[in-house]
Amino acid sequence: MNKDLLNILSNSSKDIGNQQLMDYLAGKLSEEEKHEVEMQLTASDFVSDAVEGLENISNKQEINVFVKQLNSDLHKKLSQKKTRKQKRKLLQQRWVFAAIILILALVIATLLMIVKYQQL
Amino acid sequence: MTICEIFSYLHLLVENKTVKEDRYQHISDNTLLERFYTDNDNQWLGILLQRYTMLLLGVCMKYLKNEDDARDGVQQVFLKAIAALHKYKVAYFKSWIYMVAKNHCLMKLRDRHGKSPVTLNEQTLVVEDEPVSVEAHLDKDRMLDAMTIAIEDLSAEQKQCVTLFYLEMQSYNQIAQVTGFSMMQVKSYIQNGKRNLKIAVGQIVKENE
Repeated sequence: MNKDLLNILSNSSKDIGNQQLMDYLAGKLSEEEKHEVEMQLTASDFVSDAVEGLENISNKQEINVFVKQLNSDLHKKLSQKKTRKQKRKLLQQRWVFAAIILILALVIATLLMIVKYQQL
Repeated sequence: MTICEIFSYLHLLVENKTVKEDRYQHISDNTLLERFYTDNDNQWLGILLQRYTMLLLGVCMKYLKNEDDARDGVQQVFLKAIAALHKYKVAYFKSWIYMVAKNHCLMKLRDRHGKSPVTLNEQTLVVEDEPVSVEAHLDKDRMLDAMTIAIEDLSAEQKQCVTLFYLEMQSYNQIAQVTGFSMMQVKSYIQNGKRNLKIAVGQIVKENE
């Protein structure tokens, strides 16, 4: 019996690339390349669900537009979070500075008072 | 600096983003996660999540059946994932993010249908197989024997499609042409055949032990 039988049970660890996926959906691949993608479809429910869904998007060109838009939104959101965090840090630092100055002022004032009392 | 050089410089600036993305291609999901857990820099999450944008869009589209909802769904999944990754560690990212997306879609569907419950069958709740197989327990010869027996027990259609797909390396399209089945039928014969084979081999292994 053919040793390729064992391939049936192995889960492919190979990841499918976006371009390969788009070419598959657009029917641009050779039969051999199609088979390669389909091997990954049968090995992964994630990829299989995704292809089923993407096939339902009528205008395939839109997929790339959607993906680009979603990625740029994602990066915007992540950098917003970063700046918010940085702002919070800065704000916290400001409070620390204010506290230090206040304590220093108090110390100096006490010292001055002690010196004044000693002079009396 | 010639005009040509200025143009190529500008072109590089525009392309910089894609170059930057490609630069991380060789880094595995796990390494990216580890880097995020080490320095807490969201940049790593961005690189990791965008690897799956297209697949997530597909999954959301499959369940929500509407382009706008699907796009919205991907954004929600991203937000959920970012919040969760800040809280706890994830070991196997690909199946985890798939599960997050699927659960999100099922929740949306439940909201959409009011209180009528979406059937949560075993398949919808199952997490994708981790890359561990029955093979680990068996040597190759015994495995081949088990497979040879199991494949004979498949239905005629499943056996034909599985053989053409895995042994003769034919695409769905070629198999559909040879057998006269539709592409959808071919796909489901292969998937169900594979599932049945797994179960049968598991049983044979158990009996032999």
